[in-house]
Amino acid sequence: MLIRFYDVTKVYPSGATGLFSVNTFIGKGEFVFLVGPSGAGKTTFLKLLTREILPTRGQVLLNGRNITRIRPTEVPYLRRTVRMIFQDFKLLPNKTVYDNVAFALMVTEKPRRQIGALVNEALKLVGIESKAEMYPDELSGGEQQRVSIARAIVGDPTVLLADEPTGNLDMETSWDIMEVLLRINKRGTTVIMSTHNATIVDVLKQRVIELDNGRIVRDDEKGVYEGEAEYNAVLPG
Amino acid sequence: MRVRLSTMRYFLAEGWKSTKRNVSLISLGTMAVSIFVLGVFGLILMNLSNVNSNLRSSIEIRVYVEDNLTGQGLGALKQQIESIEGVHRVTYVSKEEGLSRLAKQLGEKAGLVDILGENPLPDTFDVRVFNADSTPDIASRISNLPHIIGVNYGQGFTEKLLSATRFIAVATVVLAVILLGAVMFIVGNTVRLSLVSRAQEIEVMKLVGATDWFIMWPFLIEGMIVGFLGSSLSGICLYVVYRACISRLGLVAPFIPIITETAPVARLCAGLVGLGVLMGVFAGGVFIKKHLEI
Repeated sequence: MLIRFYDVTKVYPSGATGLFSVNTFIGKGEFVFLVGPSGAGKTTFLKLLTREILPTRGQVLLNGRNITRIRPTEVPYLRRTVRMIFQDFKLLPNKTVYDNVAFALMVTEKPRRQIGALVNEALKLVGIESKAEMYPDELSGGEQQRVSIARAIVGDPTVLLADEPTGNLDMETSWDIMEVLLRINKRGTTVIMSTHNATIVDVLKQRVIELDNGRIVRDDEKGVYEGEAEYNAVLPG
Repeated sequence: MRVRLSTMRYFLAEGWKSTKRNVSLISLGTMAVSIFVLGVFGLILMNLSNVNSNLRSSIEIRVYVEDNLTGQGLGALKQQIESIEGVHRVTYVSKEEGLSRLAKQLGEKAGLVDILGENPLPDTFDVRVFNADSTPDIASRISNLPHIIGVNYGQGFTEKLLSATRFIAVATVVLAVILLGAVMFIVGNTVRLSLVSRAQEIEVMKLVGATDWFIMWPFLIEGMIVGFLGSSLSGICLYVVYRACISRLGLVAPFIPIITETAPVARLCAGLVGLGVLMGVFAGGVFIKKHLEI
């Protein structure tokens, strides 16, 4: 088992509850959709895995190690194995596609002679190698998301977290991105993706964890977006 | 911590790029002026202690002896003075020698001595002591001996010089602290600007797992560069201005024992540059740590 949440509660300083007493586990190489209305706790779930936030109670285990207890100096090393992509890509506008991806290797002090090959491999995997010398603002949204995925997987992380990665993209482009994510998952990387896109979830039939008000209300192997009606009151988009 | 050469190059390039983007002439100028003022105080302090040690090494007690003393009495008195603890050397100067010395000191006005007719000077002993600090004590013991009219060692002057030196030293330290604040503010401001302009980059760095040290290095280097530029500017100015001053002063008032050698002044200027660099790194580090929450 790769990831385990053990009785995890997160209450924010404002008093809002992110997660409440969540217990779950995710195996190596799984593809998991996190669904649920806005504010249900999906982003909290993901942020706990990168140690961007700490739980108020409970343990988050990665490879058997309680990552809520690691020293602050160890957090960067955790983030080299648990990478995250976002709805807004977070690319650096003054760097080319190639440099954006290489940046992730350089700032984690990978030897210079290894960087070129690794970047090219990652760009190829996401299908954007022909645009390596272009700048982010010369690319479409879908292409930018591919670059951000390449940057996330370039150090060969164990886990890829995707926080609504298709949120800003049209349906066709979203499918392209899903294809890339599935390809990465096939290579052995665990993918956890939060989404509001019902079609994608329904068609792909992967594991679905549904959150509502910080609690897991459904966890289906080969699930669909809509569970029981009572949990589907709010479905934006 | 082992740092790769390519990583070090990256830090230097980023630090330099960021400095160019964010440092202004006004902030560099302010910093240079601050350090310059500190340097001026340093130079005054150096010169005062130089004067002080010169004076101390040349301090002499002049002992005036009653006129009616014969050779034997003078010999006995000399022995008595020599036996006082701390006395290094006692030299007898007869009233005739004293007069010719005075004539020499007066130079072209030596004719005055002839006008006096009779020699008005008493016989004297010039007393050298081992430790300048014990001068007042020894002088008072000598003055208690019989047949002594008086003693003179420039009473009061050395004490005044010492207290002036102490005052300047304290002022220099206080000033250094105030200027440290100014330098911190300037470097902090530059680093703040670069923090804003690099916010996105730092976010990505944290996201992909760059260590805190890796993120901090370019900022430390930026502080170092700003500190170096500001203090070099003031170091060079200070050196040039001081050289100009001593050549002028040498013409106007050659009797002032000002430091004219190059080495100690150059050392002070180099020290200022070192101080500027240290303050820059320190300010950069403090600021970045506070604002990155790392």
